[in-house]
This record gives sequence, C-alpha cells and structure tokens, in this order.
Amino acid sequence: MQANEWSLIIFTTVMQMAVGSFVILGGVHFFATRRYGDQAADALSDRALLAIGPVVILAMLVTFLHLGNPLNAPQAISNLGSSWLSREVALAVVFTIGGAIFALMQWRKISTLTVRSTVGLVVAAIGLLLVWAMAQVYLLPTVPAWNSPATIVTFFITTLLLGSLAVGSAFVITYQYLRSKGTLPNTDTQFDILSTTLRWIVLISLVLLGIQFVVIPLYLANLAEQGSEAALASISLILDEGGALFALRLILLFVGAGIFSIFMYRTATSENRTHITGYLAFSAFAFVLISEILGRFLFYESMMRIGL
Amino acid sequence: MANKLGFYFNATVCTGCKACQVACKDKSDLPVGVNWRRVAEYTGGEWVTNPDGTCEQNVFAYYTSIACNHCTNPICVEVCPTQAMHQREDGIVMVEESKCIGCRYCEWACPYGAPQFNEEVGVMTKCNFCHDYLDEGKSPACVAACPSRALFFGEIDELRAEHGEIAEIAPLPPADITEPNLVIQPHHNAKSIGSTSGKLINPEEV
Ligand code: SF4
Ligand code: SF4
Repeated sequence: MQANEWSLIIFTTVMQMAVGSFVILGGVHFFATRRYGDQAADALSDRALLAIGPVVILAMLVTFLHLGNPLNAPQAISNLGSSWLSREVALAVVFTIGGAIFALMQWRKISTLTVRSTVGLVVAAIGLLLVWAMAQVYLLPTVPAWNSPATIVTFFITTLLLGSLAVGSAFVITYQYLRSKGTLPNTDTQFDILSTTLRWIVLISLVLLGIQFVVIPLYLANLAEQGSEAALASISLILDEGGALFALRLILLFVGAGIFSIFMYRTATSENRTHITGYLAFSAFAFVLISEILGRFLFYESMMRIGL
Repeated sequence: MANKLGFYFNATVCTGCKACQVACKDKSDLPVGVNWRRVAEYTGGEWVTNPDGTCEQNVFAYYTSIACNHCTNPICVEVCPTQAMHQREDGIVMVEESKCIGCRYCEWACPYGAPQFNEEVGVMTKCNFCHDYLDEGKSPACVAACPSRALFFGEIDELRAEHGEIAEIAPLPPADITEPNLVIQPHHNAKSIGSTSGKLINPEEV
C-alpha cells in the first residue's frame, strides 16, 4: 500500500459522504417544507448544511497529497474528452463551488424559495454525477477487481448510507443543542421533523444494507469466475490477507446500519429519550464510517492489474 | 495511419542477457527502480511419471523483452487527465513532463507496466522510442545493444508483413486492450496468454 493511497481513500469516502448528505438533506427539506413550511424546515437543516462545507474542503485538499507534482494540478481538467479522471476533478470542483453558493443563499435567505430549491436540485444532480464519474475512473479494463458494476453500486451505497447517517447525527445534535439553548422555534414541530427524518433514515439504511450484502457475494463470485491471475490475486488480497479487516467491515456495517438503526427506529419517537437516540445515531454513523473506510482501503488494496 | 513505429522481438534467439534493459537505462539515465525496458522471465514445468515408472521433467523458460508498445489504442493516453501522455503523428507515445501532475493513473491503466514513476521529480516517465536517436538516423539504444539480434524496430506494417502478427504470449496481456505495435516471434515453448502452466519469476524486475 502506497501512503498516497490514503489520500484517495479519504477523498473518495468523504466526498461521497458529502454528496450523500447534500442529497438526503435536500430530500428531508423538501418533505418537511411541504408539511410544515420552509421556516420550520430550515431550523434543523441549515446547520447540517453548513457542516458539509468543511468536509468537502478537507476532501479537496487531501487530493493534493496524492499528486507527485501538485503544482500542475490545474492541468488536471484538460482531458475532459476522454479521461474520467479529468471529469471527476471538474465535477468535484463544480460541486464544491455550487454547494458553497447554495449554502450561502440558504444561510442568508437570498432570493426566493423556488430559486433556492432549483439551485439545490442542480447541485445535488452534479453531486450524483460526480459519484458516477468517481466510479467510472476505476472501471479500467486492465484491473478486474475494479472493472465491475459492483464498483458503481458500492460507491452509490457509500454515498447514500453515509449521507443518511451523517444527516441523522447532525439533526439530533442540532436539535439537542438548540433545545438546550432554548432557541428552538416550535419544539413540537421540530421534534416531529426530527423523528420522522430519523425513521426514514433508518428505513433507507436498512434497504442499502440489504443491497450491499447481496452485492458483495455476487461481486466476489463473479471475480472468482473470471479466474484470471489478477482476479484471483485480488480475491486473495481481500479474503486472505485482508480477511480480518473484511470481516470487521461487514460486522461494523451490520451493527451500525442494521442493529443500531433498528433501535433508533424505536427510540426516535419518544421525546424524553432523545439523548439515547443521539447516542444511537452517532454510533451508527461512526460504525458505518469506519466500515466504509475499511471497505475502501480493501478496494485499493485489491488492485491487481493484468499483464506485466 | 500507416507509418506507425513498432518493435519486433524474436524470443527464439533472446538469451535473457538484458543488454537492452541496461542500454535503455544508461541512455536515458534512469534512476533506481525505473526501467523503461524490462525482460520478463516466464518459466514452468514439473515432473511427469511415465507408464514404465520413470520420471521426466518438462521444465521450460523463455524471455520477453518489453517496453512501451506505442499502442494504436493507448489506454494511457485515454485516461491521462492532463494530456501529458500524448501520441505523436508517428505513433510514439510520450509524457510531456511539464504538464504531468504525477497522479499515476496511466501506470494503473497500462497492462504492460510501461509508464514508470520517477519519485525524485514526481512525474511519470516512459520509453520515448529514443526519438532523438531516430532523428539522427540511429537505432533506439535497446535495439542497437542486443547481442543476439532479437530486437528490431521499424514501421509496424513492414514488421508485420515480414514477421507475422503475434503480439500476445504469456505473461503479456491480451492484445485487444491497447492494440500494441509489437510483433513477437514466439519461443517454441511459448504459452498462450492467461496460461497457468508457468509463471513470471522475476516480478520485482518488471
Ligand atoms: S504500452 Fe502502455 S504506456 Fe505504452 S502506449 Fe501502450 S498503453 Fe500506453
Ligand atoms: S501521471 Fe502524468 S502522464 Fe500519467 S496519467 Fe497522471 S498526469 Fe497523465
């Protein structure tokens, strides 16, 4: 493992989490606005939105560590015609700038709700396109372990799963903070938004967990079937050398997105148990984050190229 | 494009002396760990028991000298985000170091291991077909150095007309990925690509 691959692990995981948070937050805000009006909907989500900013900037900065010659970095978008890496970089930059503009508009309530929603929708679409491009970068015909639809599916699972759980944690923390400060506008409505959001997040997590647990064995079986030297070496890197980490990843994923989530589904609706809900939301997020980082680590570790 | 340049490698006469590799290293003053031309050693074999109870071995070994194949469909050029990796009119694929960001993506993509990263300067480097020598009317350093006359270069159409079209033998990758401008005269023990009867025994050198 080359040290500079850590920067790729962090960049891809964190950027996907940011895109996922943005998308999930958009969805939550959309439904909350329809039911309670935009002012009520803004209370919890505005702060969560601002939390995405530093995360994206961190992810963008980390990529420079991967480059042998960072001074030339601006050149990285000069092959949009054929290089998915170029497209990935360009989309990441556009998503970052677009996200910043949207956050500013939302924070300062610039322009009308419709205009803001449209901007948000466009930025979310760019984010999802970015995740698509990120996956395409790894679909190299010369690397069997990466050249699989599982790469695309897994990247989107990471995006939505980490995004959901991050938004869940951010909502509970914000709710508790605002309530303790006594600045929460309408506590009942806000609690309603919080518990409905958390329950939806649990359902989304369970579905994604289910898909992930189907995709992983299919992916490994398909790789084994290809039977090339590189494919078999990749399997061995995941299951033998990386076996313990792989098992840990699956356990953390199952406990975080599965067990903690189910408990959270039960506690989310009782107002006097919000601190327990908070612990559950945060643990679920932390477990899944570690699991995803381990998964991404194994993804890069399993890189075996055909040929010489 | 008719006049693309390519290499011809005759595995039946290669002795594995690696003069080509060393000449290349010397000519371009390559640092430790960077070898634009490499010689892959592929060997295999086992003991077989005959019906009469005697045992015989069927060990084989052969060499493949390989550098960049200045491919017709160069995946390195396709994936490079900066266009630092580019192909000239004559087919030579080169790195424009002043554009390279050292992301090493071409290195991931090329199935011949041709792009090699120079840690000291942080940019990618690779075989440039000794284009300066070509301009002076000389042969590439590797071709000139081969004492067995196993290595030649020329316009790929002519090489193919004279020596055939084989460009894939173990341990090379399938030729349809990048369409290398390479012609190989296979060793009589040559195994087909993907064969598991032998293995690359000097992976640290290639
Ligand atoms: S051998 Fe590799 S580096 Fe050379 S042109 Fe082909 S794909 Fe590119
Ligand atoms: S290392 Fe340089 S030549 Fe290779 S893909 Fe990156 S920018 Fe292009």
